[in-house]
Order: sequence, then C-alpha cells, then structure tokens
Amino acid sequence: MKFKSQQIAYYFFATSMLLLTLQLIYGLIMAFAHVGYDVLHEVIPFNVARATHNNLLLVWLLSGFMGSAYYIIPEEVDREIVSLPLAFVQLIALVLVGVTAIIGFHLNWWEGRKFLEIPRALDYLVVIDVLLFLGILGLTILKAKKRTTTSMILYFGLFSAGLLYLPGMIDTTNQTNDSFWRWWVVHLWVEGVWELILGSMLAFLLIKLTGVDREVLEKWLYIIIGLTFLSGVLGTGHHYYWIGTPQYWLFIGGFFSALEPLAFLGLTMYTFIIYSRRVIDHPNKTALTWTLGCAVMSFFGAGFLGFVHTFPGVNIYTHGTLVTAMHGHMSFWGAYAMIVLASISYILPILIDNKSIYNYRVSKYAFWASNIGMFGMVLSFGLAGLLQVYLERMLDLDFFVIREELKFFFACLICFASLFISGVLSFIFTFILSGLPKTAKFNKV
Amino acid sequence: MLSKSDSLRIFAVVTITAVVIFLFLSYDTLKKIPDQTNEKNLTESVIRGKNIWESNNCMGCHTIFGEGAYYAPELTKVYTRRSEEFLRMFLKDPNAMYPGKRKMVKYDFSDGEIDDVISFLKWCGEVDLNGFPVEPPLKKHVSSAVVVNSSTIKKPEIFDKLCLTCHTLGGKGTRIEFAPTLDNIGNVRDKDFLKRWLTDPSSVKKNPLMPKFPLSESTILDLVDFLSEQK
Repeated sequence: MKFKSQQIAYYFFATSMLLLTLQLIYGLIMAFAHVGYDVLHEVIPFNVARATHNNLLLVWLLSGFMGSAYYIIPEEVDREIVSLPLAFVQLIALVLVGVTAIIGFHLNWWEGRKFLEIPRALDYLVVIDVLLFLGILGLTILKAKKRTTTSMILYFGLFSAGLLYLPGMIDTTNQTNDSFWRWWVVHLWVEGVWELILGSMLAFLLIKLTGVDREVLEKWLYIIIGLTFLSGVLGTGHHYYWIGTPQYWLFIGGFFSALEPLAFLGLTMYTFIIYSRRVIDHPNKTALTWTLGCAVMSFFGAGFLGFVHTFPGVNIYTHGTLVTAMHGHMSFWGAYAMIVLASISYILPILIDNKSIYNYRVSKYAFWASNIGMFGMVLSFGLAGLLQVYLERMLDLDFFVIREELKFFFACLICFASLFISGVLSFIFTFILSGLPKTAKFNKV
Repeated sequence: MLSKSDSLRIFAVVTITAVVIFLFLSYDTLKKIPDQTNEKNLTESVIRGKNIWESNNCMGCHTIFGEGAYYAPELTKVYTRRSEEFLRMFLKDPNAMYPGKRKMVKYDFSDGEIDDVISFLKWCGEVDLNGFPVEPPLKKHVSSAVVVNSSTIKKPEIFDKLCLTCHTLGGKGTRIEFAPTLDNIGNVRDKDFLKRWLTDPSSVKKNPLMPKFPLSESTILDLVDFLSEQK
C-alpha cells in the first residue's frame, strides 16, 4: 500500500460484504414466496423484501465503488486522500442513511418507485453524502501533481452518477413523466455512467495484474466507453416503448440497444487481448479470475441477455415479465457485482499485507460456485419468464393458473441460489478470515 | 496508428453527439406526453391515487405499464378487465377473494382513498401505450369450449368481469377452488336464494368463501334473472 489513507477502502468493503449478506436473505424470502411459502407476509410482505433486496444491492455496489475509488485514486494520482476523518464521516453517513431507509421500508415509509424507493427526505441526505465523497476525491485529484486517464474516468463516472441521481427527485403528477425521469436515473446509471466506473476499475486491475503499458490500455478504454455511451444513452429508448411516450422511441431504442452487446463485446475482447499480452505473471490469481470473469459475464448478462429482449417486437411480449428478472440478475452480477469482488480480491491482500490469501482454495470455490449458481438462477428465471410469456401474454390464462405452473422453476431457482449463496458466503468467509488492516493508525495520517 | 488523443477525441465526439440527440428527443417527448396520456383527465383524484400507489409501494409486487415487480398481476388495464365493483371490493378487503391463494397486504383504505386508487387505475388504462399490452395472439386457438347460452335473458355486462373471476359457465372463466360451476345453477338454487346470496353471502351461510360485493339492487336482480335461467 502506497498511502496510509487508502486503508479506508477496507471499511467500505466490509460494509459491502455485510449488505451483500443481507441482500441474499431478502432474495430468498422472495423466492420462497413465489413457491407459495410466503410465511413472513405479515412482517415482511413481498414489496418490502423486494425494495430491500434492490436497495441493498445498490448500496453495497456503491460502497464497493467508493471503497475502490478511495484506493485507486490516491494510487493513481500519487498522494494521500485530503482528509481521512471526513472519509470516515462519509462512510458512517452512508451506512446510517442506508440502514434508516431499510428500516423505513419495513414500516411502509418509502417512495414506491422501482429502484428509487428511498424516501424523499433521505434522498437529500444521499445527495449530501455523495457530494462529500466527490468533494474529498475531487480535492485529492486537484491537489495532486499527477493525473491519469484511469483516475479521471473513474472520477468522471462517479461524478456523473451523483449528478444523475437528481432527475429522480423531480416531482410529477403524471405516471408517464414519473417513469420517464426514473429511467434517467436507473438506465443512465447502469447502462451509462456506471460503465465508466466499471471500465476504469477494469483498466486499473488490468494495469496492475498484466503489467501491460498503460498508454495502450487507456487508449482503447476511451474507444470502448465511447461505444458504451453511444449505445447506452440512446438505448434508454427501450424503456420508453410502452409507457405513454412517442413511438419514435421504438426505432431509436431498438436500433441503439442492438449496439449495446457490441460495446460489451468490445470490453470482453479488450480484457482478453490485454491479458494475452501480459508481461508479468501476477501471483494474485483470484483477482485475475474475477477480473476475466467479469469481462465474460458482463457481456453475457448485460450484453447478450439484454439484447435478446430489447427488440420492440419481442419486448411487447416480454416487457413486465420474469424475462426482465433474468436479464437484471445476470447483468448486475456480471458487470457490477463481479467488478467489485474483483477489486476487493486485488486490494484486500495489499491492505492487510497478507499474500497467503492468494492461495486460499476456498476463493476458487467462491468464484465457481457463485457463477455456476447464478447461471442456473438466470436459467430458471428465463424458463419461468418464457412460460409466463406464453401462458399470460399469448394465451391470456388466469394469473393464478399461471403462477401454479411457475412454481417448479422457482424451486429450481432456490436450488441454484443455494449454490450461489454458498459461493458468495465463501468469498465473505475469506474476507473475514483475512483479518483487519495491519497498520490501522488513522490518527497519524 | 490511433493515438491516445485521437481516441479521446472519438470518445468526446461520440458522447456529445449521443447526449445532444438524447436531450433533444427528451425535450420533444416531454412536450408530447400530455397529449398521449390524456393529461386533461388527470384529476385531483387521479393524482391522489398516484400518491397512494407510490406511498404503499404497489410497484413492489404489481406492474403498471409493465413496470414493477412480477409477483402480483399487471394492472394497466385492470379497470376494464375486472370492473369498478371488483376493484372496490378487492381494495376494501384484499383477503376476501381467492381463498388459499397469494395475499395482498390489507391496507385499510378509506372509501375516498379507494375512489382515488380506482381513478388512478382507470386513467392509466386510458393512456396510449403504443399497443401494450398486446392482444393475446394464441387466445383464439384455445377458446374452443362451446358456449351454449340457453338463457333468453341477456347476460349482464358485469358477469364476465366479476363472476367468471372464480366461477365458470359454459367452459368460460377460471375456476378457483370451491367456487361451483354455474352451468346448472338454475336447477340447484331458486331466485330467492340467489338474491339473498348475492346481496350478502354471510346472511345465508356462516363464513362464506365468497365476499359481499357492492352491487346495486338492479344489478343483483339482473344477475339473479340470468343465473336462474342457467339450467
């Protein structure tokens, strides 16, 4: 570790791991409800479990991004974070807002807008927290003598993500407008600016793990994120097919969404070409596996599985069915969860100064069990979704008749989810086993 | 060979172009939404209904315009698919219907709140959604049951939307466990029984599985006439 203040990353990662564990529990509650065992209905009805599951995901990913940024940016610009105590305040504030929001959901206090359920009063606190985060890192970059493309893209991605939170706070009376602005946040995050964060984290990891010249790596990074923006920004159109917005979105959304897999394919090829040109054999195989895995799975989940149902002629049948859940799970996992886990796998051994975790066999299990498990889950969602499309959208059978038929696939989902969970818990187990950062002397920084 | 500054230039041009086109289309969309969504019908009641929809996170189970979770039914066209009476009864006590099935949270809405939610759902159903939800293309191939309506009395409009939710008649409808088929109901029950039952099932039987619907006297009489002809 070059700078002491980089240790703050550990605490963000620990927060991520805790929230991820909770997310798994709420996912299971929902899967069991789908099979017919909605035993917690009185305490945690489905909509509470759903909002909690989604928001825990967003917060643990953000916490992972923030932790990574607190490590990567000082490393790249070659100086300490401007204020470590403030960074701690920012972490504590993030946790407090997150916990308050989640308790609020259980008390029917929320906004009831998919992915943006956090109540308005807390939205302001989120904005303040993100401003503090951006301020700390912005000043760090500003005061630094050195700037790198990777650090600038990462910062630009985080800054844009903060900025794009704001359209979600526009008050509306018309449901169509409500949905219109909601996608400005959700879509432009996950298929826009978050990809900058993904791209720059991937570039950082590849620089470190392959030893390839940064000039080559960063040059192609620009091309790939350019393609991402072209397809992602106008690809927002695929959310504007059926919500009461003009018909031209069918053409715009259909055309540019078809380009989205190309952007992801570019990312995958980029990663593997760089890897094949590696000049060092880094001993941290775990981080390398997660990095390469992320490049493959993000193409599969966000690129391919998104592509299969964004064509308007297909989407009119699959829109609002479990087919969306299939795409959603694999794209969040492949693109964002895996990059955070890759980043943790690389950064953690440095923070705690313990190289033995390179060789944990359980790390290997964590990777394969979670990925095979997620693949099976996505297959179950996909088959359930297809059946739902046929029975509901094509034959117009009754809701309850269809739900009986879908139970089998949710039972399969639970089996694969168990494998997935065993993998994720193994990852968390190695995290805990690795211990705390060795030189945690924050007061002296 | 492409230099780093070339690739930065490509990135900047592509991004700015995409963003400018997107902003222009968004501006145009915001101008067109009021017409396409019949914003003139957006009454105070609809807006209050939207607030109730959001403050209870209905989207956490249902979908509207196909957006939300996939645990409870899609509600965009629910106003025409069911009926106002069905929605009113259901919102009053969601647990009254579908015994033994998946349950909705009982929210204890006031009558005014129920009116607002219904107005909101009615308004949503009238928005021009570019053809969503699509007319089920295979439906015609499975509606093979021959519906023989020996009744000389015209079927009340509400019958299909309300009664066929749980009962069947002439092969139509979805049978929910314990709800009898209505094919021969005219042979089994007389008019007096049917009238008392439809007015309030609990006046006939203790803990009936069928809920009391807020039906008008004339609707009840129409239904009684129609049902008693089913022989």
